[in-house]
Amino acid sequence: MVESTILTVEGLSVTFDAVQVLRDVCFTVSQGEALAVIGPNGAGKSVLLRALLGLLPHEGSIRWRQGARIDYVPQRFTIERRAPITAMEFCLLKSPGFWRPPASFIGQVHDEIALMGLEKSILKKNLGELSGGQTQRLLIAWALLQQPDVLLLDEPTAGVDAGFEDTIYSLIRRVQTERGTTVLLVSHDLSVVYRYAQNVLCLNTSVVCQGPPLEVLTPKELTALYGDGGYYRHDLKVRH
Amino acid sequence: MQSSYHASFWIAALVGLASGSVGPFILLRKMALVGDALSHVALPGIALALLYGADPFYGVIVFLTVAALLIFWLEGKSRLPTDAIVGLLFTASLAVGILIIPNADVIESLFGAFPVLSLPFLLVILFMAAALSLLCFVLAKPLLFRIVSPDLAKVHGLGRNYDLALLLIFAMIVALGIKLVGTLLMGALTIIPAAVAKNVSGSMRGYIAGSALLGGAISLGGMWIADTHRLLPGPSIILFGVGLFLLSLVVRPKRAA
Repeated sequence: MVESTILTVEGLSVTFDAVQVLRDVCFTVSQGEALAVIGPNGAGKSVLLRALLGLLPHEGSIRWRQGARIDYVPQRFTIERRAPITAMEFCLLKSPGFWRPPASFIGQVHDEIALMGLEKSILKKNLGELSGGQTQRLLIAWALLQQPDVLLLDEPTAGVDAGFEDTIYSLIRRVQTERGTTVLLVSHDLSVVYRYAQNVLCLNTSVVCQGPPLEVLTPKELTALYGDGGYYRHDLKVRH
Repeated sequence: MQSSYHASFWIAALVGLASGSVGPFILLRKMALVGDALSHVALPGIALALLYGADPFYGVIVFLTVAALLIFWLEGKSRLPTDAIVGLLFTASLAVGILIIPNADVIESLFGAFPVLSLPFLLVILFMAAALSLLCFVLAKPLLFRIVSPDLAKVHGLGRNYDLALLLIFAMIVALGIKLVGTLLMGALTIIPAAVAKNVSGSMRGYIAGSALLGGAISLGGMWIADTHRLLPGPSIILFGVGLFLLSLVVRPKRAA
């Protein structure tokens, strides 16, 4: 493994009930890179992230750089609305002390939620009282606590108002450039891919194409990935 | 022992505390009914121990530990309907227990009694109850992490062994309370304080601590009622707890919808 490589995946296959969801997937990710994973519904994008996190049984090899600290923002996060857990207590799940958290950790929580544009006052609210947008921002802030080397995001703007999307992606971009965090991002939005990812992995059970978006996302490759008319042309409006 | 009376109050206080400490985790995992059924498994354990002349406590410990391991195994098999199997199997074990338990011991086994214990045995029970309460607080973070998001917990190195730890702690606490509260009602003693505390808590730390204190208070209050009115301690404790639960529905703070 080259020193700057943080993840090497070789021959990764995942099978559910005799149906192959991922087949012979190979790719590498460099330190500090932002890689977008795109593909149609049911292409295995979320399965890929979950396999990379060790949450699913798989064949093939997944090698993270030794000691790499990984964090994850899942696509769906549901908690019983009446469970009496505050946003701060949710953050404390990552603290060295739950009952008596160190002041330095509390400071970190304040920094990360401010970065995500959240008010301190939301930390006292129960998770069930937060709006969809606040929950999503909190989840990203939570994932950023203790500064992971790698951040895996599964459709981080799903269920968030359109206005929030750009903000969230800009913030993720800022974290990536300022902290050198490696970002693996599942997205269905091609405009996001063009703007925020250095590389793209097109997935439809197996890898259809990979490389810098402007080079590999040709009409021919997109047709191979989504089928004829299977993607929205307006997604291709690239804003530089 | 000076009298079983003082011993009973000490057991009520500490077993109540332990029940209240573990309750929030069981309730948040939506295992209230499974937990309740678990306590029924103790009955054949009591029956077999009595048949072979051993202290029922040992029979209870063995049967509840096996039942906890069985629930853990079932939870890992997503294709099996855990609720249905637990309901059937554990109720069947109650039926088997009733058939083989000597008649003279039925009521006490089902609904509890003021326990008569030797001093060393009493001290062991009190020590275990205190230690298990403490363990719930020490392990609160990983246990909660597993409940809030099993996936995120696993990414952070917290696997299913914490789910197993919770089940075993729960089984031990149920075992400790069975002499006092009985096999039919002991599961409820772990659920009621947590259900009351949930209605009035605004934070998780307040919820866990409040439930623990309420567990001790409900047990002691129920014991006092049983003692002053010459009633069985088990039903008195549970009914006192249910009364507090109803009260908590009325006084609970308003939350944003």
